[in-house]
Amino acid sequence: MKSHFSKEKLTLVNELIYEIKIKEAMSAEVIFFNEKATFREIQLTLKEKKISGVPILDKNSELVGIVSIDDIITAFDRGYIDEEITPYLTREVITVPQNFSVVYAIRLFEKYGVGRLPVTVSLKNKKVVGIITMSDILNALLLEVQTIAEKVKEKEAKDKLFSEKISKSVTRKPLQFEVRSDDFTNAGRVASITKKYFQNLGVNPEIVRRIAIVCYELEMNICIHSLGGSITVKMDNHQQVEIIARDKGPGIPDIDLALKPGFTTASEKIRALGFGAGMGLPNAKRCADKLKVESSLKSGTVLKAIIYLGEKNEVKKDN
Amino acid sequence: MIIGDLINILNAEILCGRKYLDREIKDFGACDLLSDILAYSKEDYALLTGLTSLQVVRTAEITGAIAIVFVRGKLPSPEAIGLAKSHHIPLLKTDELMFNSCRKITEELIKEKHNTK
Repeated sequence: MKSHFSKEKLTLVNELIYEIKIKEAMSAEVIFFNEKATFREIQLTLKEKKISGVPILDKNSELVGIVSIDDIITAFDRGYIDEEITPYLTREVITVPQNFSVVYAIRLFEKYGVGRLPVTVSLKNKKVVGIITMSDILNALLLEVQTIAEKVKEKEAKDKLFSEKISKSVTRKPLQFEVRSDDFTNAGRVASITKKYFQNLGVNPEIVRRIAIVCYELEMNICIHSLGGSITVKMDNHQQVEIIARDKGPGIPDIDLALKPGFTTASEKIRALGFGAGMGLPNAKRCADKLKVESSLKSGTVLKAIIYLGEKNEVKKDN
Repeated sequence: MIIGDLINILNAEILCGRKYLDREIKDFGACDLLSDILAYSKEDYALLTGLTSLQVVRTAEITGAIAIVFVRGKLPSPEAIGLAKSHHIPLLKTDELMFNSCRKITEELIKEKHNTK
């Protein structure tokens, strides 16, 4: 029979049959008999429960054999249907350990032409904990596929909500803040407000974090090193956030040096607050996707940081 | 480990944020330099610090800390406590030194890891 599914399309199912463990698919409620049962008793149960075979367990729950409909028919045929099963039991029974993936059970079904397999604790411990059939496996697969489909739907709905929110906010004005020199009581508020703003828009938390850190570093820079300035945060056509920090001076004499980790001009007072490790600009550069610094000793400094809203850009590793 | 566990581990006192003590701590940071916190911290972490300024709470909030432990018996300013309250960040205080605090937490983490094996 030619299947209309191509092999490539079934990759997901292929992966799943390797991922799903037998214990997740099996039925743990096992109908079993002990060695003292008769074929007749078993036949009645098979009929009543509409199953095709039962495992035979000893008093330690260990498997000693299996009785299937075939065995019952043979018993009928040869006239020992009312006898105890013990002498007629096939002792060599194929089992599957519960921790194996269902693909193993599928292979055994094919290889031995059986429809059900007793599931044991492990390869060594032959205590029976369940029974697995092809329909159990199909059920588990369908359930798993459904769960995945639901997750995909959920994500799609979330993404849609996110882009709707973003497109609404595009029409909003950019956030604008004044940052005063030496005002340590209020320093950090820009970052805090900006963080909340993007959190509410549903932006990926890792990106929100980077936006907040860049804001904070730029804000502290204005507060510590400049004569005062402003920070503008705006979102450009759904794709990126632009943070612009402007100050009124005095300007950075050597930008390359300022971007070097560990370089600082901070005073003792600033250091006592926990700042001034010379990590501000390098850290802002690390968290932003792009950082441009323009500075003049006349008009002051303009810092422009860009962070992409897509999920692809991970935080760059320290260099 | 949850935030509340730190009370026993460090013999700590809660300064605010009792309601949020059941949050799970995913990482720790021990820093007396705000710039380092900004550069190296991870989401949902607990910060151990000897700094007590308002800016510590700010930095913690911005970097996504879920708790701050002040070591060496230091008390933060009322403004810092107020800011932490408004951002739902529990503040704890311990008399332990930074090194000892880190050691005690590490020992507990190793125990936890061992027990889950």
